[in-house]
Amino acid sequence: MNADKIRDSILLYAVKGALVHQDANDIPASVLIKEIEKEKAAMVSDGRIKKPIKSVPFTEKDELFDVPKGWVWCRLGDLLAIVSDGTHHTPKYVDAGVPFLSVQNISSGYLDTTNAKYISEEEHRVLIERIKPQLGDILLCRIGTLGKAIEVTWDFDFSIFVSLGVLRPIDNRLTPYILRVINSPWGKQWIDRVKVGGGTHTNKINLSDIPTCPIPLPPLEEQKRILAKVTELFSVVDEYDKAAEELKSLNEALPDKLRKSVLQNAIYGHLIPQDSSDEPGIELIKRIHKEKVELVKAGKLKKKDLDVDPVSIDEYPFEKPAGWEFARLSEISLDSADGPFGSNLKKEHYTNEKQVRIIQLSNIGEFGWRDSNVKYTTFEHLKTVSRSEAFAGDIIIAKMMPAGRAIICPNNDPKYVLSSDAVRFAFSSVLDKKFLYYAINSPMFKEQVYGEVQGITRVRTSLSKLRTYILPIPPLSEQQRIVAKIEEVFANIDKLPKSEEL
Amino acid sequence: MAFSWKSARDIMRKDSNVSTEYQRLEEFVSLIFLRIYNALEEEWADEADSNGKLYTPAIPSEYQWNSWAIKRANGTSLTGDALVDHVNKLYNYCATMSVVGLEPRQKIVRKVFQGLTQHMRDGFQLRQLVDLVNELNYHDAKQRHLFGQMYEEMLRIMQSSNETGEYYTPRAITKFIVGQLDPRLGEKFGDFACGTGGFLTAAIDHLNKQGVESKKQVEQLQNAIVGCELKPIPYLLCATNMLVHGIDNPALSQGTAFSKNINDYDDKDKVDVIGMNPPYGGMTTSSELTNFPENVRTSETAVLFLAYICKRLKINGRAGVIIPDGFLFGSDNASIEVKKILLKEMNLHTIIRLPASVFAPYTSITTNILFFENKRATDAPDGFNTKDVWIYRMDIPEGYKHFSKTKPILLEHMQVVKDWWENRVEIVDKNEDPTKITYKAKRYSAVELAENGYNLDLCKYPKEEEVILTPDDLLRDYYERRKALDLKIDNTLSEIVKLLDIEL
Repeated sequence: MNADKIRDSILLYAVKGALVHQDANDIPASVLIKEIEKEKAAMVSDGRIKKPIKSVPFTEKDELFDVPKGWVWCRLGDLLAIVSDGTHHTPKYVDAGVPFLSVQNISSGYLDTTNAKYISEEEHRVLIERIKPQLGDILLCRIGTLGKAIEVTWDFDFSIFVSLGVLRPIDNRLTPYILRVINSPWGKQWIDRVKVGGGTHTNKINLSDIPTCPIPLPPLEEQKRILAKVTELFSVVDEYDKAAEELKSLNEALPDKLRKSVLQNAIYGHLIPQDSSDEPGIELIKRIHKEKVELVKAGKLKKKDLDVDPVSIDEYPFEKPAGWEFARLSEISLDSADGPFGSNLKKEHYTNEKQVRIIQLSNIGEFGWRDSNVKYTTFEHLKTVSRSEAFAGDIIIAKMMPAGRAIICPNNDPKYVLSSDAVRFAFSSVLDKKFLYYAINSPMFKEQVYGEVQGITRVRTSLSKLRTYILPIPPLSEQQRIVAKIEEVFANIDKLPKSEEL
Repeated sequence: MAFSWKSARDIMRKDSNVSTEYQRLEEFVSLIFLRIYNALEEEWADEADSNGKLYTPAIPSEYQWNSWAIKRANGTSLTGDALVDHVNKLYNYCATMSVVGLEPRQKIVRKVFQGLTQHMRDGFQLRQLVDLVNELNYHDAKQRHLFGQMYEEMLRIMQSSNETGEYYTPRAITKFIVGQLDPRLGEKFGDFACGTGGFLTAAIDHLNKQGVESKKQVEQLQNAIVGCELKPIPYLLCATNMLVHGIDNPALSQGTAFSKNINDYDDKDKVDVIGMNPPYGGMTTSSELTNFPENVRTSETAVLFLAYICKRLKINGRAGVIIPDGFLFGSDNASIEVKKILLKEMNLHTIIRLPASVFAPYTSITTNILFFENKRATDAPDGFNTKDVWIYRMDIPEGYKHFSKTKPILLEHMQVVKDWWENRVEIVDKNEDPTKITYKAKRYSAVELAENGYNLDLCKYPKEEEVILTPDDLLRDYYERRKALDLKIDNTLSEIVKLLDIEL
């Protein structure tokens, strides 16, 4: 339930006479109407009203509801001296001068002059010959956004555009109540019925229709009671609104926070218990080293690729669980590579044929491979940038936007190549790919990518920096158990309701 | 092998019966306690002797450290199954010894051991561990001081392994709080959820700096601290900690702090100064709750402790308590009631808001330090004992993204708070949007706080710190905030229903 629904409900309740009690001592509205008719006649005689508005009798079609004792139904036109609109011609705007108001300045429900337009004094003097809006008038949005109405409570001069209607009540004491009726569900429903346009044409309310709006009119004293009650209620509704909005934000933030928390918890080794019978991480690292030695013998790796920069105890990112080991990406990966220089993979190298898929930043999504932005290059061209070829199962890491985000290279295209914004790491089967994927995307790894610097949003990383960052290596079966647990919990987090619309 | 926690752990890892870090800690510190206690009993025996009196030790000779633990030159030291057997009997003796005829300073042995378990089964590893403890030369004052520091280090490492979690407050914070409370010799300092004794040792250090030389001063120091701890292992650690800091007969009780009706504490139970970090989350039993007035009963332990502290402070007594954010914005009955008590019956003069990562290495909830005293503030308005509450938000120092295991909060970081404390001014935040006015430090009158529903969640952190909470802390925080908001929503809606004069 949102606050606007509550406000609407209160307003409808109010104009139906249910909000406050009736008082038999109040002067009935019928008397009020007679007084207004007399005043109207007087205004016609002395020329304050040039074109009196004709009253239209009620029929079944108006669908009026029963009003309480002391109330009457009347037409809006019965209460008004003038109904008019602003100028139909777009004036010449100037930087400073007399404010020229239109729908955009009224539609929020209060006077909003942030993007106000201005016209010259001379032009204003011409416009006010036709209609001069003044204190106590009601301004109504009648073109585009329909129905919002406010009272003119400011005393500076201004002119208006055709999109605003001007309603001048005969008796100013009725203005606040009339506004509440127009802005209530009753008023909105009536506007919906009389509006024209729609489709390709802008919605609008014809000037001639405005006076026909049926107004349920209470005694003047009761109007005051209603208005006071509405104000009191609305201030509590505002408090409700604030709390409801906060609650909405709280619920919207939860799934993402929960994912990060669970992921970090998993990477720290706290999600599931360790099993002392598992082959410890240090053995896995030894096996990887042996694999790399074989690759050097086979000429696939250089001897310097065997160099190890061990992780000292001071560098441990967290307390090491039993059976785990810390190592840098350079040590535990079999191979790694950078994308080509920008100039070596450009538009001229693209092809429409499904040959070598280019891995771009836009493919490195938050939850895995994002198959948008499809671009290919030729097998032929790949030969010239062969160092940047990527393979299914590689871990692909983005250099920026955001730096450090990782995905697993899929197997949907014949071949893959890195763009200049991505790097690849290849790992032995002794490590679980999904575990590596989660570990690199964890807050603990991100902290290394972003470093100790505060408030930087456009961080870039590089292959050489990434190779130095530290990952935890649990026993292999524990890696798999961790992945299973993460995915089980994540699947449940996905089930959390999206946004609460009560 | 050098006396160190790492060495102890390596030895115990070889005994599969000791499976968790927590158990290793328990095992190692129990032995350390026995060794130190033996040394103390020897001192007391010597002292009694020089006064022509007789001292009867609490631990009988066959179980005294010197008789079974010291390595014998001829290679006949107890080891293997015989050692395990002997040590098991020793533990059992200590846990069940009769307290009849015991001096007060001897009763602590049973209090400590009644909650402990001897875990090791491998007598050869146990021998090695005992030998390691022997490396500690307790009679050497310099080593004793080094031991104290090393002990603190061990406690800190323990906390980061997440097994002793809630028991350790960073030294920078305890020192700061104790510094601002300034306990004096002759006063009693209490911590009724003392954990491993961080606040108590900070108080002892603070008192020592005032010069403890005369017999009277020594006696005052010996009697200065009062503690209570629910769980056996932190209790063990705290007791050992007290012995290490030279308090021979620490007034520590093991068990719940909520053992009697909080209105039944009389002057002899009350203390002058309280500094503590009460546990949060629901751990109170229903029988403990009956010791509280109905209107403050809640499952939130931290809130209960605040009510408790108010009743254990002497008149003019003062307190510094670490409390999570939830209490500040909490609108449940108990939180509101306790906030009323703090503003109306106490003088809640200062709230220091702490950055979220203060309790890192890994995670924590946002916390605050509430400083209040059991007296009426000058010019406090009618119905209140507090006149104004100063709220100050401590920001992460420059160069830090957040505190962490490798970059913990340091005492020097608190200097800026201390400077402000002496010279209190309102501080406006530098906002990009000039129409948004937020404060880093501001004074609020008790009256306006009461009128605003007792919401103390003011001078908030402008952006949410990107701290990763553990799942349990995260969800606990979520539920607290949601509860507070749901309550607010319920309250506004029921007010609307009332104003509309309708029935649902």
